[in-house]
Amino acid sequence: MRLQQAMLALGISVALLSLAVPLSSQEEAPDPRSSEYGREPTEFLDPLTGPVRGAPTTAPWPPAQTADGQPDVQGVWRPALGGTHSLNPAISSGQLFRNQLAGVTTDNPSRIVDPADGNVPYQPWAAALQQELEAAYENPTQPEHIDTQTRCLGPGVPRLYLFPRFRILQPPGSVVFVWDQYHSFRVIPLDGRPHISPRVKLWSGDGRGRWEGNTLVVDTTNLNAKSRLDVIGDFFSDQAHILERFIFIDDSTMHYEVTITDPTVFTQPWAMRVVQRREAEEEFWEFACHEGERDALESSRQFINSDAGNR
Amino acid sequence: MRHRVVGVLYFSVVLSLTPQPASAQAAGGGTEGSGTASLPRTRDGKPDLSGIWQVLNRANDNILAHSASEGVPAGLGVVDGDEIPYRSEALQQKEVNFANRETRDTEANCYLPGVPRITYMPFPFQIIQFPDVTTILYEYVHATRYVHTNGSEHPEGGVYWWMGDSRGRWEGDTLVVDVVHFTDQTWFDRTGNFHSEALHVVERYSLVDANHINYEVTIEDDEVFTRPWTMSMTLYRRTEPNFQLLDYDCYAFEWEQYYPYPGL
Repeated sequence: MRLQQAMLALGISVALLSLAVPLSSQEEAPDPRSSEYGREPTEFLDPLTGPVRGAPTTAPWPPAQTADGQPDVQGVWRPALGGTHSLNPAISSGQLFRNQLAGVTTDNPSRIVDPADGNVPYQPWAAALQQELEAAYENPTQPEHIDTQTRCLGPGVPRLYLFPRFRILQPPGSVVFVWDQYHSFRVIPLDGRPHISPRVKLWSGDGRGRWEGNTLVVDTTNLNAKSRLDVIGDFFSDQAHILERFIFIDDSTMHYEVTITDPTVFTQPWAMRVVQRREAEEEFWEFACHEGERDALESSRQFINSDAGNR
Repeated sequence: MRHRVVGVLYFSVVLSLTPQPASAQAAGGGTEGSGTASLPRTRDGKPDLSGIWQVLNRANDNILAHSASEGVPAGLGVVDGDEIPYRSEALQQKEVNFANRETRDTEANCYLPGVPRITYMPFPFQIIQFPDVTTILYEYVHATRYVHTNGSEHPEGGVYWWMGDSRGRWEGDTLVVDVVHFTDQTWFDRTGNFHSEALHVVERYSLVDANHINYEVTIEDDEVFTRPWTMSMTLYRRTEPNFQLLDYDCYAFEWEQYYPYPGL
């Protein structure tokens, strides 16, 4: 359990840091949604920051157009149910930890909408490998047992859309996603240019986008497949082809639907859906993550040696 | 070498006063559209810095002029006057840093490299300019920066960031970026040139023509230096068709052979 505890301690220490950042803009702003939109604000759990309420928004709907004619969906977005402990059920390490402390279980849905059983359609050898990684993540005995995210390497696509908040920018001719966590970004050209050489593999792949109404469709290849899909070792290979659809439903809701096709690992293409909510505008401040970070190591040691860590 | 700064200023004045781009073209390297009148501009009339840029120098190896050595090409240096005004005790620390550079360098530890070093890492970076905020994306360790140009001020102190806090303003056609709130953990280069948490950086981005930015940096840190000092260099636009940022994650530890899962 030590690794899991250390990871949770890291998460908690980061969460404390995050909470130290002033959230006054959220606290002071009235929440117009229940009165103006007849909807209750969505409360959701984030693995790093804990419960967060859906933020009020003044974004127009239908969206305004950018100078180059894109639907303007710029701003800050975050998964309504964040977390990448596992895909089925969709749960964060933080929520799992809190559940364990409270002695409760929650009936979270699967992120997987196709196939209908909510499971990743692995080929038998791949299912065996995933089970090996799931059995090893708490007490890894090989370097390859350790999730790349634990090493502060990029979560990659599509995992980046499963837990942290991100910002959408729309300069002429492209859509840009920027995350503060893991200081990741993606620049998606919209000009129909071809993919780069298949010799080049990238953490977040090579995305090419187009708008279909208020849906951004992104075709993503060139994935290096070093990052996994979750903590328990769900994975794909560098032969994967990913089709992403960012379906903007209203001023504050977007459905991220991603289909993963990889005949080397799966028996069929399969798909996930992650509901994303717009958040209040707020400056993104630095989130530095690098392997060997001494403060995190020290806080992990303190946690493991504490009463909570020995439970 | 102070004349070098004066030269740059003179060059800028010549550009701004020259109605015909011909002479500026010759001075600017023959690129099209030289002269401030024909600079690419955003809808709000500012010079448009958007695009992918990269330095062509060896400043990451050593910001001072240096001979070639094994694995390190020679460089003319980027420090105006080619001298860094260290306090005497700080100069001793620099020498200790140099002796331990294999293990102590920011880059060797995969830390975010700070400002201005991130600019002259030998990797391309992309500027995305909007009126209120300019976002800079760097291929090196996919670092990101937001330069806020909405009149906001630095957050109050007690903040220590690898990349500092950047607030910008336009002075004529120059984007001036004030950066504070640094850690003392980053170096200016691989030779151990360093600073304290008191570091105050002012960057000046001046579009010279469509494909060149004159990049000037003032370094101020009373705890380490006896006076402010400056660097200057050219940022070159990557003009290859369909050029794009790729990625470079850092390798502080041996991990690459384990991912994807061996044999996969």
